[in-house]
Amino acid sequence: TMDVYFGWRHLSQVVGNKRMRMTSSFQWLLSTFILLYLMNEVNSQKKGALRDLKCVTNNLQEWDCSWKAPLGAGRGTVYEVCIEDRPRSCYRLEKTNIKIAALSPGDHEIRINSLHDLQSSMSKFILNERNVSLVPDTPKILNLSADFSTSTLHLTWNDKGSLFPYHSNVIWEIKILRKESMELVKLATYNTTLSGKDAVRHWSWTSDMPLECATHHVGIRRYIDCPHFSGRKEWSDWSPMKNISWTPDSQTKVFPQDKVILVGSDITFCCVSQEKVLLAQIGHKNCPLIQLDGGNVAIEIHNISVSANSGTNVVFTTEDNMFGTVVFAGYPPDSPQKLNCETHDLKEIICSWNPGRPTALVGPRNTSYTLFESFSGKYVKFKRVEALTNESYQLLFQMLPNQEMYNFTLNARNPLGRSASTILVNITERVSPHAPTSFKVKDINSTAVTLSWHLPGNFAKIYLLCEIEINKANSIQESRNVTVKGVENSSYLVAVDKLNPYTVYTFRIRCSTETFWKWSKWSNERKHLTTEAIPSKGPDTWREWSSDGKNLIIYWKPLPINEANGKILSYNVSCSSNEETQSLSEIPDPQHKAEIQLDKNDYIISVVAKNSVGSSPPSKIASMEIPNDDLKVEQAVGIGKKILLTWHHNPNMTCDYVIKWCNSSRSDPCLMDWKKVPSNTTETIIESDQFRPGIRYNFFLYGCRNQGYQLLRSITGYIEELAPIVAPNFTVEDTSADSILVKWEDIPVEELRGFLRGYLFYFEKGERDTSKMRGLESGRSDIKVKNITDISQKTLRIADLQGKTSYHLVLRAYTDGGMGPEKSMFVVTKENSVGLIIAILIPVGVAVLVGIVTSILCYRKREWIKETFYPDIPNPENCKALQFQKSVCEGSSALKTLEMNPCTPNNVEVLETRSTVPKIEDTEIMSPVAERPEGHSEAEPGNHVAVSYCPPIIEEELPDPAVDEAGGTAQVIYIDVQSMYQPQAKPEEEQDSDPVAGAGYKPQMRLPINSAAEATAVGDDVDKTAGYRPQANVNTWHLVSPDSPRSTDSNSEIVSFGSPCSINSRQFLIPPKDEDSPKSNGGGWSFTNFFQNKPND
Amino acid sequence: MDLRAGDSWGMLACLCTVLWHLPAVPALNRTGDPGPGPSIQKTYDLTRYLEHQLRSLAGTYLNYLGPPFNEPDFNPPRLGAETLPRATVNLEVWRSLNDKLRLTQNYEAYSHLLCYLRGLNRQAATAELRRSLAHFCTSLQGLLGSIAGVMAALGYPLPQPLPGTEPTWAPGPAHSDFLQKMDDFWLLKELQTWLWRSAKDFNRLKKKMQPPAAAVTLHLEAHGF
Repeated sequence: TMDVYFGWRHLSQVVGNKRMRMTSSFQWLLSTFILLYLMNEVNSQKKGALRDLKCVTNNLQEWDCSWKAPLGAGRGTVYEVCIEDRPRSCYRLEKTNIKIAALSPGDHEIRINSLHDLQSSMSKFILNERNVSLVPDTPKILNLSADFSTSTLHLTWNDKGSLFPYHSNVIWEIKILRKESMELVKLATYNTTLSGKDAVRHWSWTSDMPLECATHHVGIRRYIDCPHFSGRKEWSDWSPMKNISWTPDSQTKVFPQDKVILVGSDITFCCVSQEKVLLAQIGHKNCPLIQLDGGNVAIEIHNISVSANSGTNVVFTTEDNMFGTVVFAGYPPDSPQKLNCETHDLKEIICSWNPGRPTALVGPRNTSYTLFESFSGKYVKFKRVEALTNESYQLLFQMLPNQEMYNFTLNARNPLGRSASTILVNITERVSPHAPTSFKVKDINSTAVTLSWHLPGNFAKIYLLCEIEINKANSIQESRNVTVKGVENSSYLVAVDKLNPYTVYTFRIRCSTETFWKWSKWSNERKHLTTEAIPSKGPDTWREWSSDGKNLIIYWKPLPINEANGKILSYNVSCSSNEETQSLSEIPDPQHKAEIQLDKNDYIISVVAKNSVGSSPPSKIASMEIPNDDLKVEQAVGIGKKILLTWHHNPNMTCDYVIKWCNSSRSDPCLMDWKKVPSNTTETIIESDQFRPGIRYNFFLYGCRNQGYQLLRSITGYIEELAPIVAPNFTVEDTSADSILVKWEDIPVEELRGFLRGYLFYFEKGERDTSKMRGLESGRSDIKVKNITDISQKTLRIADLQGKTSYHLVLRAYTDGGMGPEKSMFVVTKENSVGLIIAILIPVGVAVLVGIVTSILCYRKREWIKETFYPDIPNPENCKALQFQKSVCEGSSALKTLEMNPCTPNNVEVLETRSTVPKIEDTEIMSPVAERPEGHSEAEPGNHVAVSYCPPIIEEELPDPAVDEAGGTAQVIYIDVQSMYQPQAKPEEEQDSDPVAGAGYKPQMRLPINSAAEATAVGDDVDKTAGYRPQANVNTWHLVSPDSPRSTDSNSEIVSFGSPCSINSRQFLIPPKDEDSPKSNGGGWSFTNFFQNKPND
Repeated sequence: MDLRAGDSWGMLACLCTVLWHLPAVPALNRTGDPGPGPSIQKTYDLTRYLEHQLRSLAGTYLNYLGPPFNEPDFNPPRLGAETLPRATVNLEVWRSLNDKLRLTQNYEAYSHLLCYLRGLNRQAATAELRRSLAHFCTSLQGLLGSIAGVMAALGYPLPQPLPGTEPTWAPGPAHSDFLQKMDDFWLLKELQTWLWRSAKDFNRLKKKMQPPAAAVTLHLEAHGF
């Protein structure tokens, strides 16, 4: 057998070499090989040699070698196996395999002697480790369990590591099959290293499909990758399959139940049902069913969208049942944003945050928060409150004594995940105190107060910075910062000075810490009135002499509130001269003037204001008035509500200037107000609410020198000039034949309302009532205008007028503010007597002269005149030839020129007459009433003219084209023609009959045939038609019947418009020529037919 | 189950008219002891009002439950809702009920339904829904009191709840969210059916108790609107 072995080897080599070298002789070699092989087979059979020694190991320590027995070897064959290089290693056995201890690497000779029926044959094998296969034992699953809630399979098995002495690597291959049809759903590999001891291995797998809905089968095999083993390594066999199936035990039919998953992930739902599932839907959407074993179905959802609050419903519907589950698709918690920890009182830390992106999970699946402080190891949990807003995400953490640094971690967690945010704070730098409470104000003096407030909190170790806001009416707001040492839960006190006496202040305060973090909210406001102080200045004083010059009136102004420093109770007025000091009694506050009887000596008047605290410094004024001769009254006009006064600097004026003003119309002493300006100024603006436009004010500028006042300037002015409100009163002083003298009066100052700039005088010819002198300004040429700018002029003579003429005179005054109203008057100039006399005498003289000349001429030519104008006339009564019988002349009808045949008049109504010759002319007889003037007919073409109508007796006339054309528009309605013309009832017959042969009716006039359309349609014979013809041109019959067949050609349109019809019968006198019209056959057209629906329309 | 808003305005208007005329009716037509008539009328009106209120509540709640619960033709089998009192009854059986039994059944049904409804309120996830449910619970409590009043007026004793039979809302682990939703759906449906039935019950009682004149007056005024 060994020969064969080597021979085979050799042959293989030979074959290999030959193929390399001579590929052409390949066929020859192949035949040789086959021959040799067959001979060998025969030989070996003969010899009974052993074949195919194979060794495998499953643990590397023991080899299991087996061989094939020769042919004919049966029971009773004994084999002797000897390992040549191993002492006493011969084994007798009756099997064809032997387990031997693993041999060392290298070739080993194995001799197997088979003894059978006293025949023996011996075979030799060379055995090497390289020829040994390592096939591990089939692994065995210890346990297969399922967690149905998570669809997870748990697999455990023993790795049998103790069998292998080395730290060998093991590859485990696990297959998971689903359903009874054993569909492979997962083939997983799992690498381990053997530890030399038996160990139980675990492997878990989560199914995409709920495990409840289909049976899952699991098998395992292994491959040991032993580095020291040089032989072949092979996979073990698959372990026996274990399976997991679910036994229905509850109502639940749909899986998974109440699962929370991430938005966008894929999920499979399945339904365990004995009935046939008809429909599966998620939300509104139907899903295709995936059939599983035993009527179970599944649906796959890809990229699931976010759920509503109550989750997304998945429903499986059977014939008469419904199963479902709810899935909650949401997001893991966002990391808490804007985590901020601060304290109001250094007792409790408030951490607040924003939850970030909503998770779409509510109720028990909502995010839970835990605040953990790592230095102390303490934590607090967030309790969810109703109606969460972003502000309500906050937690309170009790401060720990002697700990200033806090390291907070906020953990957020929901079924889909967790997140965290951290913050490290020195809490003394994160103080935002509460709003100060019990805020109070107390007086110290008139300019200082103390403020006190309470601030809850443990601020003993820090300093507080507080801001005091001070508000005063009509003043800008003031803020003052104070720093106070913190105390524990106590009140704080600060003084505020530099206030004004007797002033209402509003205080409020807020606090922070010296290491500023945030201001607290403002405390409540407190209003406080500071106490009074003595008035800081004396009142502003002025004096006026009374009109009689005996009394001096002292005026003063009330002190402004910031100078009064309290409520002014009274004033003291005293006057002193060199000799004496006179003091008046106290004057109570609302009174601001006093009158003292003084002589013309120099006095100094002093006024002192008093409040409850004391008296002001006196304000003094001299009584003396220094005269000024060089004084003239000036004019001034203000701008806006102000008036500007300027003056030259006068070095003599040592103290101040005083401007006083008053209304010019008031009597003395005239004083509205005064204003003091310093002596170095040369101008001032006077402004007062009392100023009104159109009122004249007097301004007086006083200079002060040596304690006496001198009037420097006197100014009359207006704040704003207005037009006069009255017209000047004027009268006519004198009238002559060509001139008028007019005189007028001044306008009072109050009504002038400005400085008078002149008069306008208008005059024109005109009577009262007729001349209104409208549009004086529009420059009418007949109005003469005189502008009188000399305001001192009070008369005006108007010359070059006509005598005895009425003139209209108008006068009006004007200021810079505008024109005043006008005043008018009518004056008639006197007669011019010489002209009048001449005007009478000359015509009289001329008339007398003409009379005389005429008389003379008439007398001399009297015979000729008589012959020409008045000849003798013979008397007709004397003429016999012209005598008549009286009876004859008195209207006997027998002598009339014409006798008419008896006739029954028919009424003919003329609709329209455009003819110069009316159509009725054709009738022989016309009723007198029917005759209308032509002009009238034309003017009223629509008027119906009722005429008596007689059937024509005359023969058909030749058409007169002129008449036709003209008469084409005349329309006649024939009333009661039917009685005269019976065949009208059958218009079709009429049309069918030969037009020439028709001899019944004779038309009154010819139908116009100049219409081209007519000519084409009917032909030239038409004019010979003896049937009835309307007198009018049918084109003018605009009775468009609603059912006229307009679809036919335009010729038919003419006809179908309608033909004249008898008023009584309401039947058309001419049949429509449209053969296509079915209605035309009936011959009984009526207007009512027009509104009937044609069946074929 | 028809929970659409429908002609709720018209019904509300009609109801308002009825309520407006309520005080006038006994004063016009009756003197002395009014008897149980007015309280039956009030109870009847209250059922109509609750019916109206339930329409909007059910609309909101079914939308909250999500599709297919808010679909108009959704009609699931009555799986876990077996403990809910059933309003549906054979017409003959209903006709044969006497006043006492009729009122007792109403009272018992609403006391059970109220209890379930309060459980529903605890489960609701949004604050707005909880407010609506709480409001409806208050109204239903009022109806229960009203029925008790009618029973007292007629001299019937109130049914005593047997200890242990008081229904409790158990949202335990055995109850899946889906079954919970089915129960909620059936609770609302039964509530509506009960309100319809009560309206009929009290209408019948009202006709029986009230003198004809008063009944006619009210009838006319209610329809005259």
